[in-house]
Amino acid sequence: MKRMIPAFGLSAALALTLAACGGDATNETPSTDGGDTTAEEMTDEPVTLTLAGWSLNTTPEFQVLADSFSEAYPNVTVEVAEYGDGDDYDTQMIADLAAGVAPDIYVQKNLKNFFTYADGQQLLDISDVVSGLDPATGGVDFYQMDGTSYAVPYRQDSWLLYYNKDLFAEAGIDEPDGTWTWDDYVETSKALSDELDVKGSYQHSWQSVVQGFALAQSDGAALDSGDYSYLAPFYERSLDLQDAKAQESFGTVTTNSLSYQAQFGTQEAAMLPMGTWYVATLIAQQENGEAEDFEWGMAPIPQVDSSTTGTDATPVTFGDPTGLGINPAIDEDKVAAAKAFLAFAAGEGGADALAGIGITPALLSDTVVDTYFSLDGVPTDELSAFAFSTHDTRPENPVAETTAVVQNILGDAHSAIMSESDSVDDALAEASDRAANEAGIG
Amino acid sequence: MAADVTAVAGYRQPPRKLSDPVKRALGYGALIVASALIMLPFVWMIISSLKTNNQVFTIPVQWIPDPVVWRNYLDIWTAADMSTWLQNTLVLSVTVTFLQVLTGSFAAYGFSKVVFPGRDVLFLAYVGTMAVPWQAYMIPQFIIMSNIGLNNTLWAIIALQAFGAFAVFLMRQYFVSIPDSLCEAARIDGMSEYGIWWRIMMPLSVPAIASLTLLTFVNTWNDYLGPLIYLRSPELRTIQLGLQTFIGQYDAEHALIMTGSVLSIIPVAVIFLLGQRFFVEGIATTGVKG
Amino acid sequence: MATTSVDQIHGGPGPSVPVPPRPLRRSRGRLALRNTLVGWSFILPNFLGFGLLTLIPVVTLFYLSFTSWNVFGTAQWVGLENFQRLIGDGSYHTALFNTLYYGVFHIPLTLAASLGLALLLNRKLRGVAFFRTVAFLPYITSIVAIAAVWNMLFSPEFGPINQFLTAVGVSNPPGWTTSADWSMPAIIIVSVWRDMGYYMLLFLAGLQTVPGELYEAARVDGAGAWSRFRNVTLPCLRPTTFFVTVLLTIGSFKIFDLILVMTGGGPGQSTLVLSQYIYNKGFVENQFGYSSAVAVSLFVICLSVTVFQFVWNKRRDA
Repeated sequence: MKRMIPAFGLSAALALTLAACGGDATNETPSTDGGDTTAEEMTDEPVTLTLAGWSLNTTPEFQVLADSFSEAYPNVTVEVAEYGDGDDYDTQMIADLAAGVAPDIYVQKNLKNFFTYADGQQLLDISDVVSGLDPATGGVDFYQMDGTSYAVPYRQDSWLLYYNKDLFAEAGIDEPDGTWTWDDYVETSKALSDELDVKGSYQHSWQSVVQGFALAQSDGAALDSGDYSYLAPFYERSLDLQDAKAQESFGTVTTNSLSYQAQFGTQEAAMLPMGTWYVATLIAQQENGEAEDFEWGMAPIPQVDSSTTGTDATPVTFGDPTGLGINPAIDEDKVAAAKAFLAFAAGEGGADALAGIGITPALLSDTVVDTYFSLDGVPTDELSAFAFSTHDTRPENPVAETTAVVQNILGDAHSAIMSESDSVDDALAEASDRAANEAGIG
Repeated sequence: MAADVTAVAGYRQPPRKLSDPVKRALGYGALIVASALIMLPFVWMIISSLKTNNQVFTIPVQWIPDPVVWRNYLDIWTAADMSTWLQNTLVLSVTVTFLQVLTGSFAAYGFSKVVFPGRDVLFLAYVGTMAVPWQAYMIPQFIIMSNIGLNNTLWAIIALQAFGAFAVFLMRQYFVSIPDSLCEAARIDGMSEYGIWWRIMMPLSVPAIASLTLLTFVNTWNDYLGPLIYLRSPELRTIQLGLQTFIGQYDAEHALIMTGSVLSIIPVAVIFLLGQRFFVEGIATTGVKG
Repeated sequence: MATTSVDQIHGGPGPSVPVPPRPLRRSRGRLALRNTLVGWSFILPNFLGFGLLTLIPVVTLFYLSFTSWNVFGTAQWVGLENFQRLIGDGSYHTALFNTLYYGVFHIPLTLAASLGLALLLNRKLRGVAFFRTVAFLPYITSIVAIAAVWNMLFSPEFGPINQFLTAVGVSNPPGWTTSADWSMPAIIIVSVWRDMGYYMLLFLAGLQTVPGELYEAARVDGAGAWSRFRNVTLPCLRPTTFFVTVLLTIGSFKIFDLILVMTGGGPGQSTLVLSQYIYNKGFVENQFGYSSAVAVSLFVICLSVTVFQFVWNKRRDA
C-alpha cells in the first residue's frame, strides 16, 4: 500500500510532463496558418526579433546581418541569441523548440538537420519570400519539401583547391590551370612530394573530403540509392596518395589532431581541397603571423573527367548552404518583419554585408564578387576569381528523411576504409547492408 | 603492504633496519615515475598553452614551445570573459556541493538507520535512475525545467545537480558501515533521530563527507552537458561552456583552450590538496564492534 | 506538482492503515508508522528534487520507449515495435557487444588499480597529499586534453608507445585508435588511467572505517600481510567495495564522453557504445522513441547486474 503512494503521486506529475511533450505541436498549428502575410505588409511599429546564432565572438556574420538589416529597417531591432557550435547548436535548438522557448528566426546550419526541423513542423512556410529572391541565389531549391520552401540560403560555401604558389615554383611544377581531373591532382601531388620535403597535398579527415566530391561528380550517385560503389574510385585515389606518402595518413591526421590551417598555413603541404570559408581565416592568419607568408591561389576543384574542366566549363563541386528559417511559434505580428529579414539576408543587401567580412554569400552577383575581391589579401589572379565565382555546387546532404542515417553509416565506412581496417569493397558493401537494415533503402 | 598496515594501525616501524631505507627510496622512486606518467597530459596542456595556435598539433610533437607565448595568459582575460565564467562556476560548485552533501547525507540516514516498509524499493529506484544515461531523458527533464521557469538560470544547474542519487548512495554506504549499536545507545539516552544524524553520524563520516565534497565539487566544476543544455545567456556561462566558445565551426583556438583548461584546473587542484587531509586516521568506533 | 505528491505521501498512509486485530500488533503498527514518517522526513528534502527532475523524466522515458516520437509532435503509441526492432538491428548488437567488451575489462581493472592506489596512499608518508592529488589529476584534467595527448601517444607512426615497441623488437606494433582491433583496448587503458583516482578517493574514505584494533589483534595472532588484507581490510571495506563496484558497473555501461572525443566510435563501428547509439538515434536521427527503447534496454542490463550485486552483497552480510 505505502509503496504505491509515491508512485501514484508521480503518475500525476508524469501525465503533466507528457501533456507538455505533446502540447507544443497543437499550440503552433494556428500560427502556421497565419503564415501568408507577406513582407510588403510590414508596418512602421517598432518590432524586436530574436535570431539564433553561434559562437558570436568568432562568427560575426549574425551580428553583421542584424545590424545591416536594422540600418535598412530602423523600426526593427534584431537581437542575436548565442548558441553553441558544432552539434551543440542543434542539440540546444531541438531542446528549445521542444520546450517552446526558441528564438523567432533560427539558422539552418547544414542540410542534414533541416529535414528534422521541416518535417517536425518547426519551420514556417516562407515560399512567398523565396519567390521574391534573385534567381541567381545559390541553394534555394535545397530547402524545398513537396514544393514548399521552409528556409532561405544566405551563405553558400563551396569547395575548391587551395595551392601554395611558392612551393610549386620551388618544385618547378606547373600550377593548376583549371583543367585538372582527379588523376592530374594525384600525379601532381606525388610529383610535389618527390621534389620537396613537404607533402604534396593535405586532405582532412572529414568524410566529406572524399564523399562530398564523389556524390556531386559521379553520374547517378545518390545517398538514398543504397548503392555506394560510386565512392570506390575516390577512395582508391585517397588511399593511393596516402600509401605514396604524398599525403599524411588518416591515422596520423586523427591521432595527432592535425589541423588543415596549420598544415597548409605553415607550408607542410602544397595543396589543400577545402571550402571557401578558409579564405578569410588564411588571410587573417597570415596577417597575425600564425600562418607563414607565402603566395597562394585558388583553383577549381579537380573533376572526374575533362567534360567539366577548363575555364569555359562550369566545374562541379559541393557544399551545403547555410539558411534562415522562422520558428512557427513566433508572434503573429512579427511574421512580416521576420520575412523581411529573410528577404534582406538572402538578397543583395545581406550578400554585400557578408562579402565585406570575407564570407561567401549565397547570392554571387558581380558587385558582391567585386566587394569580396577588394578585400586585402584575397588573391587577385584570374583563376582564383574564376574558381571563387564559377561552379555548380551540389548539396553535401540532399534533403531526405534517410540522409542523417545514411551519412552516419557512410561516416563509419569512411573511418574503416581510411584507417585501412577494412577494404574499400567490404566497407561499401557493409554500408549498403546497413542502409537497407537501418534506413529501409535498396 | 606491511608498512602500510602498520601505519594505519599507528604502530612503530618493525625493526628491519637494513632494508627499510632502500625500500622507502624504491617506493618513492616508483611513486615519482608513476606521477610523471600520470601528469603527462597535464604537462602537455601547460606546454600547449604557451604555444601559438598552429603549433599545438604538429608532427613530430613539439615538446618545447618556440617562441614561448605568454600572451595567451593575458589574452584569455581580455579576449574572453574568463572572470565571469570562473565566478559562475564557483557559485554553482559551492552551492551544489553544499546542498548535495546536506540533503544526500540526510536522506542516507533514512535509508540506512530507519527501518520502514518500501525503503529498499525506493532506494533501488534511486540507484536505478543512475543506470539511465542522462542524454536519454534530457528532453523530458528540459520540458519540466522550462515549465517551472528555471531554464537559462543558474538555478537549473543547482536543481539538476544538488539532488542526485550519487550522494545518497555514497553516504548510505558509509552510514551502513557505522555500527547500529552507536545509534541504539544514543536512542536509549533519549537523543532524537535528527540529533543522532547531526551529532553522531556526521562527525563519524568526515572522510565520506570529504570525498563526497571533492567529487561533487569536481563534477559540477567540470560539467559540460548540463550547462550546455540549460544555459544560453553568455553571462551565465561556466568555464567548460566558455572554453567551448574558442571552437569555431571550421577551426579552434587550441592554445587558448589549453590556457583556459590549465587555469580551470588550478582551483580544483588546490581544493583537492587542502580537502584530502580530512582522510585522517580511523574513526572512533573503538570497542563498539567487539 | 511536487507539493501534491508530498501531501499524498504524508497524509496518505494515515487513514488507510487497517485497524490491527490485536493490541500487540497495534503498537508494532504504530512503530512502523512512526518509522515511516521519520524515514520519509529524512528522505523528503532530497526526494523533492530527485522525484521531480530525475524520477519523472525517467518514467517518461519508459513511456516514450513504447512510442514513435520525433521530439516536436505528439508521441504515437507503437507498443513493442521499438523493442522488436532492437532484435534485428545489427548496429545495436555491435554497440551492445562493445559496451560489454568495455565493461568486462574496465570494471575489474579499475577496481584493482584504485584499491591498490588507495592502500598505497593510505599511510603517513611525506608528500602523500601531493601523490594523492597527482593520482586524482587525470580525473580533473580536461577531457579534450586527455584525448589529444593519449591519441598522440598512440599515434601509429609518430607515437612514443609504438616507437618503444619497435625498439624492443615488436615488428608489427598495433595501430591503437586507428585500428578496428586495437581501438577498444586503447580506450580501456585510457579510461582505467582516468578513473582510478576517482575510485581511489572512495576507497580512501572507506579505509578510514577499518578500526586499527583489528589489525592489532591480527598481528598478535601472527597473521601476515596478505592474511590481514584478506581477513581484516577486505571484510571491513565491503560496503565501500560494493558501492564502488555498483558505481563502476553503471559508469562502464554508460561510457560516452571519452569515446566520443577519442575515436568518435570508430574506426568503423569498433568503439560504438550504447550511450553514443542513444545519442545518435535521438539527437542526430530524431528517432526519440527508438532511442528511448535503447536506453531502456541499457537500463535493464545495468539494473540486473546491480540487483545481482545487491542480492549477493546482502547474502554475504547475513
